[in-house]
Amino acid sequence: MIESGDDFNRFDFLWLAVYFIIFVFLIKIINMQVIKYSYYREMSDKNRTQIINQTAPRGKIITRDGVTMASNKPSFSLIYFPNPQNSQQTIRKVAHLIAKYSDSDGKKIYASILKSQGAMKPVKIADRLGASSIMNLSELKNFYQGLELISEANRFYPYDNYLSHVIGYVGKIDSNDWKIYSSDLNYSMDTFVGKTGLEKLYEGKFKGKDGGLYMEVDHRGRLMRIMDSRQGVPGCDVHLTVDFKMQDAAEKALASLPYKRGCAIALEPATGRILAYAVKPGFDPNMFVNYKEDKKEFDVKFDEFNIGVQGTYPPASVFKMLSTIAILESGKVRPDETFYCPGFYDAGDRIFKCWEKKGHKEVDLLKGLAHSCDVYYYNAAYKMGPLAIETAARKFRIGLKTGVDLPGEKSGNLFGPTVRASQKSYWFIGDTLNLAIGQGETLVTPMQMAVITAAIAGRGAIYRPYYVEKIVSRDGELVTGGKPEKLSQVELKEETWDLLYKALKSVVDEGTGRQAWIKDLEVYGKTGTAQNPHGKDHAWFVAFARRVNEAPGVAVAVLIEHGEHGSSAAAPVARSVIKAFYEDKITPAPEKEEEAGEAVIVE
Amino acid sequence: MYDLGVRIKKSRFDWVLMFAVIALMVIGTVAVLSSTVSLNSQSRLIRTQFFAIGIGLFFMLVVWTLNYQIFQDQWKYVYALAILILLGVLFFGVVDKGSRSWYRLPFFSIQPSEFSRIGLVLVIANYLDKKGPRIREFSGIIVPILFSLPILFALLKQPDFSGILTTVPVIMIMLYCAGANIFHIYVILSYVLLSALFPLLWTLIALNPDLTDNGLVNLFFDLASFGWNTLIFVVSVIALSYLLWRVFLKFKPFISGIYFAGIAVVLISGFLSGIFIKKQIKEYQYKRVEVFISPEKDPRGAGYNLLQAKIAIGSGGFFGKGVFSGSQARLGFVPEKHTDFILSVIGEEMGFIGVSLVMFLYAVIMYRIKKIASFARDRFGYFAACGIFGLFLTYFVINFGMILGFIPVAGVPLPLLSYGGSNMVATLSAIGVIQSIYSRRYSIT
Repeated sequence: MIESGDDFNRFDFLWLAVYFIIFVFLIKIINMQVIKYSYYREMSDKNRTQIINQTAPRGKIITRDGVTMASNKPSFSLIYFPNPQNSQQTIRKVAHLIAKYSDSDGKKIYASILKSQGAMKPVKIADRLGASSIMNLSELKNFYQGLELISEANRFYPYDNYLSHVIGYVGKIDSNDWKIYSSDLNYSMDTFVGKTGLEKLYEGKFKGKDGGLYMEVDHRGRLMRIMDSRQGVPGCDVHLTVDFKMQDAAEKALASLPYKRGCAIALEPATGRILAYAVKPGFDPNMFVNYKEDKKEFDVKFDEFNIGVQGTYPPASVFKMLSTIAILESGKVRPDETFYCPGFYDAGDRIFKCWEKKGHKEVDLLKGLAHSCDVYYYNAAYKMGPLAIETAARKFRIGLKTGVDLPGEKSGNLFGPTVRASQKSYWFIGDTLNLAIGQGETLVTPMQMAVITAAIAGRGAIYRPYYVEKIVSRDGELVTGGKPEKLSQVELKEETWDLLYKALKSVVDEGTGRQAWIKDLEVYGKTGTAQNPHGKDHAWFVAFARRVNEAPGVAVAVLIEHGEHGSSAAAPVARSVIKAFYEDKITPAPEKEEEAGEAVIVE
Repeated sequence: MYDLGVRIKKSRFDWVLMFAVIALMVIGTVAVLSSTVSLNSQSRLIRTQFFAIGIGLFFMLVVWTLNYQIFQDQWKYVYALAILILLGVLFFGVVDKGSRSWYRLPFFSIQPSEFSRIGLVLVIANYLDKKGPRIREFSGIIVPILFSLPILFALLKQPDFSGILTTVPVIMIMLYCAGANIFHIYVILSYVLLSALFPLLWTLIALNPDLTDNGLVNLFFDLASFGWNTLIFVVSVIALSYLLWRVFLKFKPFISGIYFAGIAVVLISGFLSGIFIKKQIKEYQYKRVEVFISPEKDPRGAGYNLLQAKIAIGSGGFFGKGVFSGSQARLGFVPEKHTDFILSVIGEEMGFIGVSLVMFLYAVIMYRIKKIASFARDRFGYFAACGIFGLFLTYFVINFGMILGFIPVAGVPLPLLSYGGSNMVATLSAIGVIQSIYSRRYSIT
C-alpha cells in the first residue's frame, strides 16, 4: 500500500536519531552517576545532614586524694532549625519569646535566627539554659516546631573558689584566643577555652574531641530524625599534687581570718610538690561559665592578683633563719655567745630598735631566734659582716624565680653588698643591720618563702615547686607527669642544721610561734612581721613539721597582708594546714616518747 | 506494496511491546510509591495511579479489539471531540498552577490535552493517508498544520506550554515521515522557533533590566507589544527583503523572489505570533527560562529544583541507594518527584541500572512501534504509528533532556512512568491503537 520507499528511509533516519539521542543521554548519565558519583553523593549527604556540635566534657581536675576540683555539669542549649516558609513576623515573635525565656538579648537572638534562615542551617542560639528556661522553651516548641534542646557538658567547679588561682577559669573564646585555636577544627566561635591558670596551661589536654549530632533534615531544614550522635571524647584528667584536706584547711583558716588578703602555701620538702595553695581572696570560676555577655548588670569584679607568686614582701624576721645560717657558717659568732639587748641598738648615727621595746636582756643564738630579737642579729651581723648573710640568701635562691608553673611569677629581690656594688652604689652599716633582720630591700614572694622553708626542712635540697602530678587520658593512658626537679643543694655543716632546727623548734615550743604548736608533732617555725610603710604590717609565718625520727613531711609558708603579727595571724593558719597533713598519719603510740624528746631539745 | 517475503508470526498481540509497557508501569509505580512516602496524600495518589492503570488497560483492550480504521472513517468526530474537550476546559476547567487545563470530576481530574493530542495524531494520519502525494507541496503541508491550529491555540489559551512543546514536534515528525519537503519543514520550524525566540528574548530582557541601557536592546524590547512599532517592523522587514532580492538579482539574475518573500513571511509571522505568545507567558515560566540560562542566579528557586534533581540522579551511583532509601526525593529536595521528576527518583534509588533500564524499555517501545508501522496494512496505520512513535520520542527527549540538564525545565512527564492519570490512560490508549494496527497487519485480514 505504501509506494514510496523513500518514506521508509525517513523513518529509519529518525530511528538513527533515536540511537544518537540515547547515546548522548547514556554518556551524560554515566558522567553523572558513575564518574561524578562521589561529588553528587557528597552533595546529597550535605543536603540532608546537618551537624550540631556537641561540646565534649573537659578533663577533670582531681586532687591527689581523689577529690574533683573541676568537673562538668550537663546544661541545655537551644538549636534553631530554619524553615524557608517562616515569615519575618514569625521569626521576630520566636526570637522575642526565646529571648524572654532564656533571659538573653532579643536582638542578638533575632540576628542569629536571621543568619540561620539565610544559610538554611540550624544554629545554636542559646546555651547554658536554666531549668525554668527549659520548661518555657519546651512549651515554645508547640508554637514553633523548629526548636530542639540538646544537652552539653559545661565546666563546673564544685568547690567554688578553692584553688581558684591555680585552676583558673574558662570563658568564651575571644579574638586573641581565636588566633591560637582557630587552626584546630575542634574550636568554634562559641567554644569555651581556658583563660588563666591550669585551664589555660593545659587547654589542649582538657579540650577533648567534640561530638556531634548528625541530623537528617528535609528540604525545609526541619529535623526528621537524629541519624547519629557521635559521642565526644572527653579531655584528659589532670591529677594535682594538691591534697584536698590541706587545701580545705588552708582555705578555711584563711577565710576565718578578718584580713582581706593572705595566702598559705604547703610544699612537700622531699619533692617540691605543692600540697596546698590557698589565696585569699579567691574567686568563683563558675561565674565565668554562666556569664552572659549581653547581661549588663553582671559586672565581673574579682581579684585575679595571685599574691602567692605575684606579691613581693620583705621577709622580715622570717629571714633570720638565713641570718642564723650565716652566723653558724661564718664561725665569727659562736652560738653560745650572748649579746645584751636593751631594746635598741646604737649604730652611731642612728638608733635601731628591737621589736620588743623592753629588750631581751642577755640573748644567745637560740633565744635570739626563738624570740626574734633584732638586737642580737644587729650585733651578730655587725660582727660577721653583711657578705655572709648575702651569701646565705643567694644559696637559698632569693631573687630567683622558683619556676613554679603559675603565670606572672615575680623573682623578688636579693639585697646585699655585692648587689649594691654591682649597682655602683655604697653600702652603709644600716644596710647590714636591715639585711640581718630581713627588712631593707630584700623582697620575697610567699612561694619563695615556702621553697626556702622546704629547703631548710629538706636539709638544703631545693626543688622546683609543681602541682601537676600527672595528666591521664580517659582511657587511663598517662599523657604526661610532673617530676621532682632539684634546682640546687645547699651545703651546710651538719651542726649548722642541727642548731638551726633546734632554734626553729624553740620558736614554736616557747617563742613567738607558740600558736603553731601541735601535740605529737615536732613543728619548726619562724614568725615574721614585715614593716609596711603604707599601712599595717604584714604577718609571716613559715613552718615545717615532722614526726619524731622522720624526715619533715610538709613545709608551710603563710603570709597575711596587714596581719600585723605573724604569731597571731599567720601561725594558726600554718598550724591547721600541718594538722591536716598529719591528721590521719599521727598514731597515738609514740606520743610519750615524742614528748620526752621534745623536752630535751627545748632545754 | 508490502514485502511478502517477510515472515510474520501469526499473533494478534505484540507481547514484546506489552512487556516493555508493563515493566515501565511497574518501575513507575514503585518509584511513585517510594517518592510519596512522606506525603500525606500518598494513599490517594497510589489509588489514583492504580485506578488510572486499570482504566488505561481497559481502554487499550477496547481500542485493540476495535479496528483502528474506525478512527479514519470517523475522523471528523475524532477531530471535533479533540477540539471540543479542549475548548470545554477553557470554560469549565479548573485552574491549577496557573493553567486552566483540568476537568475536576468527583474523584479525579482529567487533563483533556492528553487525549486531544492522540486525536490530532489520528486526524493528521488520516489526512496524510488521503492526500499523500500533495504533501510534497507547501499547500499540502499547510493543511495538517491548520488542523492542529485550533488545538495549539486552545493549549496556548490555557496556557499549557508543555502541551504545545509536546505537540509541535509530533506534527513535525509525522510530516517528515510522510515525505514533506525538507525545505518546507525548515520554514515551519523557523517560524516556530522565531515565535518562541522572540518571547524568549523579550522575557530575558524583562528579567534583566540593566540590559535596556543599550539603545538597540531597548528598541527591540519595545517591539514586544502591538503598536506603531509593530507596523514599522513589518514594513521594514518587507522592504529589506525586497532590497535584498534586488541586490541578489544583480549577482544571480534568475533567483526567484519567492525565497525572499518566504523569509519575510516567516519573520513577520513568527514575530507576530511571538507577541501573541509573550502575552500568555506566566511569571513562573519566565523564571524557568532564566534559570536555564543562568542557574546560579536563583539557587533556591527553579534552578535549585533542577540542581536537586541532578544531585538525586548523581548520588544514586551505579546501583542506586535502594528503593525507598533515596533521601533527595523522600526529604522533599526534588520537586514534582512523582510526576515530571520521576526519573530522578529512579536514578537515585535504582542507580545507573535503573535509568539505563528505563531508557532501554523506551527504546524497545519505540522500536516495536517503528516495526509495527512497517507491518501496517494501510498508510493510515503507518502514519498513526509514526505519530505515536513521535509522541514517545518527544516525551522521552524532553523529559530526559530536562533532568539531565540539556533543555530548560519544562513540565513534561514520562509516559507510563510518571504519576498522572490522564497521561497514563491516553498513552495506554495509544498503545491500544498500535496493538490494533499490529493485530490487523497486512497478512491477517
